[in-house]
Amino acid sequence: MSAVIRFESYTWRYSRTKQPALDAIDLEIEEGAIVGIIGPNGSGKTTLAYSINGLIPRQEMGVRKGKVYVMGREVMAYTPAELCQRVGLVFSDPEAQFTAMTVEDEVVFGMENLGLPIEEIERRLAWVVPLTEIGPLMDKPPYEVSGGQKQRVALASVLAMRPPILVLDEPTTMLDPLGRRRVFQVLERLKREYQSTIIVIEHSLEHLIPLADHMVLLYYGKVLLADETEPFFERLAFLMEHDVFPPGVVEFFYHLKQAGEYPADAPLPLTVEDGTARLRELLGGKG
Amino acid sequence: MMKPEPYVVAENVTFRYPDGTVALRDINLRFAEGDFVALIGQNGSGKTTLSKCLNGLFKPTEGRILVDGLDTRHTSITKMAVRVGYVFQNPDHQLFNSTVWDEIAYGPRNIQLPKAEVEERVREAAEVVGLDESTFEQHPFFLPKGLRQRVAIASILALRPHMIIVDEPTTGQDVKQSLEIMDFLTRLHEERGHIIVIITHDMPIVARYARRTVLMAHSQILADGPTRSVFAQTDVLAEAFVEPPQITQLAQRCADLGFAAGTLSVQEMLEQFRSLAARRRA
Repeated sequence: MSAVIRFESYTWRYSRTKQPALDAIDLEIEEGAIVGIIGPNGSGKTTLAYSINGLIPRQEMGVRKGKVYVMGREVMAYTPAELCQRVGLVFSDPEAQFTAMTVEDEVVFGMENLGLPIEEIERRLAWVVPLTEIGPLMDKPPYEVSGGQKQRVALASVLAMRPPILVLDEPTTMLDPLGRRRVFQVLERLKREYQSTIIVIEHSLEHLIPLADHMVLLYYGKVLLADETEPFFERLAFLMEHDVFPPGVVEFFYHLKQAGEYPADAPLPLTVEDGTARLRELLGGKG
Repeated sequence: MMKPEPYVVAENVTFRYPDGTVALRDINLRFAEGDFVALIGQNGSGKTTLSKCLNGLFKPTEGRILVDGLDTRHTSITKMAVRVGYVFQNPDHQLFNSTVWDEIAYGPRNIQLPKAEVEERVREAAEVVGLDESTFEQHPFFLPKGLRQRVAIASILALRPHMIIVDEPTTGQDVKQSLEIMDFLTRLHEERGHIIVIITHDMPIVARYARRTVLMAHSQILADGPTRSVFAQTDVLAEAFVEPPQITQLAQRCADLGFAAGTLSVQEMLEQFRSLAARRRA
């Protein structure tokens, strides 16, 4: 596995603030991995996303130190057009990325900018529209649909460009539980069928954890912990000290493990299904 | 013990939008003193429409809603605003003044309170939500989201409504901020006696804070009762596409081992596990 994104003692400070938003970050993200980035608001998660797609430093005033490599090349060495073919960013505020008068034009806009032939655009529409379930919205203005629908339109317009790296900044905040599950199902398919590298910034851990290969805790500008998902949550006490609250199943088995009621060498279950199976074993057979 | 008189009584309420869409169908619902309620359900299930009916912004097409004895169909918005406050999901949809002070003072000025009273109300509301004086002259737009939400809540509190409906108080907040907001609403409830209704998709928050839960789907109320018993109704939750918190799901899948379907916290789960494990050893 090779690192498709690499931060090397990367520091970014916005001109308007005294403290750096990201402070001497070293981080590698492997090709084809789904990586969850978590941490309190104000920790630099969005800054990290913007540093990957080049919005930082191009659109922000500030001081940059260190390097960010995307697919082997420094972010600054790319033109914006080259970079946006490699990194797709879905903003936490979907309205921030809308430019067109209809949902269809919005989804097509990026593909036209890539200069794709019409047949290819149509092929990708036929793929992305059902995938994100935006079919009934195609003729509507993107700013008039509901919050959850906006997030799906934003996702569709980025997916249509088929970037090998996808960065999603809180993609489900406006979705209800069903909509949230659907988005994570889409991400799972992208990983399975297209080996996309996916970076997800998210507060809701319940759906992220079963999907994520790696987790990164950003805490006020520093990477405090980065590991594969299961060992990451073995450090639960440390995480909770830093305002990370795990889903109930992880927390339950962590406490059992601490109390010696669950084998010290057994991995923590990360889903309700796993948890159910482990609990049945603990209480003796099939019950 | 006397049952408290309901503050809000909705009787056979149906609401139809001008285009004919039925958003509420035959709703019967009561809110009484001491209520801390979560209103849950998918987007489009009718939660926000119901809230807007409760504070008189919308009038029922059929049926009626009594608030503090007043029929919302015949009561002015001003009279309603001092009884039921509604805090928007996105504070930016609610905030429009150029200073925090003017934002909070807007409601009291609008109901034509004398100047001294307006000032007292603003200071009180700001203090309750923990906004200090240094923010008063700032533009709400430039405050962080957590503070903007507090300004939005303060501007509602300044009208001293007895019942406060907060639409998605934790959206876009991190976990610590979410707990802070919920603890704050709990203090309003316990120390100042407000009836609190939260609209939310965050089931762990519901399990932790709301004693009562109202579940909506397809413009109707599917379940209404103590949170524990609503979360125990797995069939009804599934029909409404609502998943209870993970720990509740775990307990339900292991109900045959002796776990209670209405388990709400990791602590409760651990206690049950230990007593079940002890029984097996014995």
